[in-house]
Amino acid sequence: MSDQTHIPAGHDLAPGEEEQHGVGERILGYVVGLVLALLLTATSFFIAGTDLVWQPSIPVALIVLAIAQMGVHLVFFLHITTGPDNTNNVLALAFGLLVVFLVVGGTVWIMAHLNANMPPMDQIMRMQ
Amino acid sequence: MLGKLDWSAIPIDQPIPLVAGAVVLVAILGVLTWVVVKGHLPYLWGEWITSVDHKRIGVMYILLASVMLLRGGSDAIMMRIQQAVAYQSQGYLPPEHYNQIFSAHGTIMIFFVAMPFVIGLMNLVVPLQLGVRDVAFPTLNSVGFWLTATGALLVNVSLVVGEFARTGWLAFPPLSELAYSPGVGVDYYAWSLQISGVGTLVAGINLVTTVLKLRTRGMNYLRMPMFCWTTLASNLLIVAAFPILTATLAMLLLDRYLGFHFFTNEAGGNVMMFMNLIWAWGHPEVYILVLPAFGIFSEVVSTFSGKALFGYRSMVLATMAICVISFMVWLHHFFTMGAGPDVNAIFGIASMIIAIPTGVKIYNWLFTMYGGRIRFATPMLWSVGFMVTFIIGGLTGVLVAVPPADFMLHNSMFLVAHFHNVIIGGVLFGAFAGFEYWFPKAFGFRLDERWGKAAFWFTFLGFYVTFMPLYIAGMLGMTRRMQHYDVASWRPWMIVAAVGVAVLSIGVICQIVQLVVSIRNREALRDRTGDPWDGRSLEWATSSPPPVFNFAFNPDVRGEDAYWEMKARARQQSLEHEVPEYQDIEMPRNSPTGFVCAFFATIMGFALIWHIWWMVILGGIGAFATFVVFAWRDHDEYVIPAEQVAAIDRVNIEERRSLVSMAGAV
Repeated sequence: MSDQTHIPAGHDLAPGEEEQHGVGERILGYVVGLVLALLLTATSFFIAGTDLVWQPSIPVALIVLAIAQMGVHLVFFLHITTGPDNTNNVLALAFGLLVVFLVVGGTVWIMAHLNANMPPMDQIMRMQ
Repeated sequence: MLGKLDWSAIPIDQPIPLVAGAVVLVAILGVLTWVVVKGHLPYLWGEWITSVDHKRIGVMYILLASVMLLRGGSDAIMMRIQQAVAYQSQGYLPPEHYNQIFSAHGTIMIFFVAMPFVIGLMNLVVPLQLGVRDVAFPTLNSVGFWLTATGALLVNVSLVVGEFARTGWLAFPPLSELAYSPGVGVDYYAWSLQISGVGTLVAGINLVTTVLKLRTRGMNYLRMPMFCWTTLASNLLIVAAFPILTATLAMLLLDRYLGFHFFTNEAGGNVMMFMNLIWAWGHPEVYILVLPAFGIFSEVVSTFSGKALFGYRSMVLATMAICVISFMVWLHHFFTMGAGPDVNAIFGIASMIIAIPTGVKIYNWLFTMYGGRIRFATPMLWSVGFMVTFIIGGLTGVLVAVPPADFMLHNSMFLVAHFHNVIIGGVLFGAFAGFEYWFPKAFGFRLDERWGKAAFWFTFLGFYVTFMPLYIAGMLGMTRRMQHYDVASWRPWMIVAAVGVAVLSIGVICQIVQLVVSIRNREALRDRTGDPWDGRSLEWATSSPPPVFNFAFNPDVRGEDAYWEMKARARQQSLEHEVPEYQDIEMPRNSPTGFVCAFFATIMGFALIWHIWWMVILGGIGAFATFVVFAWRDHDEYVIPAEQVAAIDRVNIEERRSLVSMAGAV
């Protein structure tokens, strides 16, 4: 693509296109992200095996940590921000999440109701 | 050495596919010989096959779609004749051949006619409407086209080498599993869709990026022509939905090749998971097809009514609403699977809701026409024909969205009539409208109006005569895909439908004649100004056909209907006479990457179908090596010097001046 065909339409950046900070600053960002990611991973492993917290809360804690992990990846590695130059990226992410939610959630719901209108085979078998 | 492939793969005992295949082969060899003997091969290779110009790729997509339309149409004619004669008899097609024909008809019409047609039109027009010089990823665009062509080629190879699927166009398991379809038919189906699916995904990514990232100065989102909006919505759906198709077919292939049990009857497989996943792709797919058609109608109706589109913002909103809601309705394809009333009711209501934004669009087109100075040129005829036809198809659609009604109509001819009503009346009419409307832009001369109108009327009437009887046959209880039947009351309707398909065929012949007549009369039909229809959007601001760089200067957009406003301004200010300063333009170099990549993909696909493993590895290495060579290229652009740009542009400006001054005199 030549530069002349790259007409900036509004203010809008692709991932990796953001203004160039100093190398040190960028490395710092990645290191912070890495440390946070490792910390969240370590915590997950620790929580899963520990008996220090109330047992039924463990799955919830793991889900929360997983979501935090996604957030760290999005912010530090994929550079999704809330700035006005990032609208497209955020919208694309939101659309993707919506579709995944609809398809996965819908599938789980549909497959759970697969036999609602079927004759109750287990009861019939027992009656025989 | 050659896997499952041996001489028994050639169907010597079946004359119909063999003769058809031989005729096609002779035709292809004839064209190739003509090209080589006449010395057109370097031109074809340099200017078309390796081209990364979005306009050329768009034209090649449409050419592929047109050729495949003839193939899919032949299948349709054979099916209609079979059902007309197969009353209390076997007809002329044996069951296994008939089953292949209806499977091939559906697969070809959706994947290799409708898809390439709309993607071709989007490729051709969208960069021009956005006022830019190319798409975001020109070489990727070429790869996408050639991979689609690979899929089409593999489907057609199945005609003479082996067989095609006998499972219907979506290859439902357990019928499509190895236990019930041990032949190569389903493998032909699945691999051609996998390969062309990659091509479609690539095209989708390319067009989304183009609309989001490459717009000319001042082209805000809310100044984009409607066709760009529907392109955006449709390609967002491609990017979101096609991976589901790829994953689903990959699971089916794992079942068939490696003994997995995703969709088998035994070992914990669940066939309903296939229905669920394939329709989670399948329903967005119909909107992928019809949204661009809605965009075409918006452009055509507004141009030929001489008015700005009524309710532009509501149109944008309706488009994006359809884009999202299309992911919430897929269960309506299998209401009868046994789900409870809550699941069926929710998806039924969602299916009815999606009719609302579509209704908004219909009213917007009607109000655009209201009070306008309407010219009934051929594209406008297709648009009005669409509105009438699509309303009927939409209403029967809302009818089958009601679960209790669907329990009666599921898998009946009523359903067949319904989806042909919306796909022919919506997508195909839209594709033809776009073809007539943008043909002068692509080739520099208009199409013959008389033959165009004849084509419209034969297609329009032929459609009704073919498919209205199918609604009635469905109401009488006829199920789809029947090779023969014994019910007397269906017979008359099948005969009427066969007559209808003859009328439809005359429509198709008229299209071909129109093309031939127009090419012969091209000097008389020449479009010298680049604006044959008094258009409103930027594609008409450049010459016909546009130069390779589309625009000598990036147009400056100051409102909706950018070119209309430019023309109005030029008339008021009695033309600007300052001499513009031209600059060098850099354009991407042509690249054989797409063609070479698809060549190896074809080898790999064919080898996978026939279990020729060494050839699979060879094809895979070849495709990957092509990618590596492309990634390490040094020169990817060339420069068009300013003098050349100026020379090309001045010719167009002169023509346009005389047009504007003539309009001013009137």
